[in-house]
Amino acid sequence: MGPVELLHMSVFSQSFSPCGRFLAAGNNYGEIALFSLAAALSPDATAANQKPVLTFTAHEGPVFSLLSTDSVLLSAGNGEVSAWNWTELIKKNVKPLWTKRPNYKSSLEIPEINSMAINPRDDSLAIGAGDNNVHILDLEHGAFKATLQGHTDYVHCVCIREREAELLSGSEDGAVRMWDCRTGQSVHCIEVHKYESCARPQHGKWISCLTTDSDWMLCGGGPSLSLWHLRSLSPTSVFPLSGCQRRAAFHQDMILAVGDGAFVSHCLLGGEVKGQIPCTPPSLNTLQLNTKSSEHRVLTVGGGSSKIDVFTNLSYRAFSLSF
Amino acid sequence: MGAVTDDEVIRKRLLIDGDGAGDDRRINLLLKSFTKWCHSPGSPEEGFSQYQRMLGTLAQCEFSMGKTLMVYDMNLREMENYEKIYSNIEQNITSAHDKIAECKKEIQRAKRIRKNRQEYDALAKIIQQHPDRHETLKQLEALDKELQHLSHIKENVDAKLELRKKQFHVLLTTIQELQQTLENDEKSDNDDQSQESPAQNGE
Repeated sequence: MGPVELLHMSVFSQSFSPCGRFLAAGNNYGEIALFSLAAALSPDATAANQKPVLTFTAHEGPVFSLLSTDSVLLSAGNGEVSAWNWTELIKKNVKPLWTKRPNYKSSLEIPEINSMAINPRDDSLAIGAGDNNVHILDLEHGAFKATLQGHTDYVHCVCIREREAELLSGSEDGAVRMWDCRTGQSVHCIEVHKYESCARPQHGKWISCLTTDSDWMLCGGGPSLSLWHLRSLSPTSVFPLSGCQRRAAFHQDMILAVGDGAFVSHCLLGGEVKGQIPCTPPSLNTLQLNTKSSEHRVLTVGGGSSKIDVFTNLSYRAFSLSF
Repeated sequence: MGAVTDDEVIRKRLLIDGDGAGDDRRINLLLKSFTKWCHSPGSPEEGFSQYQRMLGTLAQCEFSMGKTLMVYDMNLREMENYEKIYSNIEQNITSAHDKIAECKKEIQRAKRIRKNRQEYDALAKIIQQHPDRHETLKQLEALDKELQHLSHIKENVDAKLELRKKQFHVLLTTIQELQQTLENDEKSDNDDQSQESPAQNGE
């Protein structure tokens, strides 16, 4: 990996291992790197511990989405989903368990997979793809169960609303659609850019960031990042962040958001921005909290650089892992 | 065995030597002066003064021994005091640890409460934007009344229209019948006239 390639590298996705001791990160060259958090966070860590323990090429195109289940790492790139066993990866054995490609109607170009989410109730994987559909893959049987059609432009992000068994998808056409997981019908469709308080016509109407905790939903992108109450489908707070947000997460009583701009924004549910913590990449694409482990409870962010910032205390950047 | 105890004795002596040099020498001098006094042939006054001197030295030795005993007691008591303070501090440390854990739990709870409050505030903000339910109900009632009133008027107007229509219909039919009758009459008149003239022509 020459210095020029490192300069042009972007990290698009991250995922923590089920034991919480490893971090997998995917970049725009189709590679996945495995970092050992236990080694990097130990008191006698050296610069070598901030390099990956394993780097391998997973796909031919950029790895836009990574997701971990209890034993498997799912990666999406070049229009296909591959599964890797975590224990095998930790032993540096890079053979995928399986690789599947959803049934795309068009054969001219390969639509990219932008986002994946797991529905724990029926063990299915929702894949938001560039062919404007959300494909549902049954992980137990390995077959594609359903295709949710309704968006008129590619799907940027998907997330699961656990309590009501619904799937939310945000797309380039500015609509956030709620689908019933069992019937596969679109239950609601919110056009965020039509609401005056959120719309930012200078940025566009696309929705790139979507997250929910069953009662509330955060969505942003072209329109400002806004907090929605799902029962009444109305926007409750709009956050005055200047750039376009790409990822957001609920954490305790705060909201963490990353996007344009070299910082992580901490916001309160009321709509005010509590603070912005600076980080190394000039713009951020991905944000992950390691909730599975109790001793390596860190926040990691990655974006338009080959470095991944690690925050042990949310208020400041502790160190960076680099590809 | 003898060498070991000798070593120990020498070590102990060297250790205490700093303070005890005077005492040790004093005891030795006392012994020497005692033996000299016992064997001295001198005059009784000299003997007496030597005896007094020896008593003084003895008192000094006793005094210094008393002092050392007291110092030893003091050290023991200081040790006890320090032990007490040490255990006290250990207790404080464990209770501080417990308090920290408690406070951490409190903070988690407070964060949850704060999150709930903020959610409540956000919803309240939206609800405030919608108009009050009583007002809307009142408006609805007023509109209902107006609607009823207007439909009442409409009914009245409709009934009147029907009545007029019927009256006009009656009038028009009567007129038409009269016209028919007049026409019939005229025709029958004409017929009569034309019947008469050929009858006249025929004659």
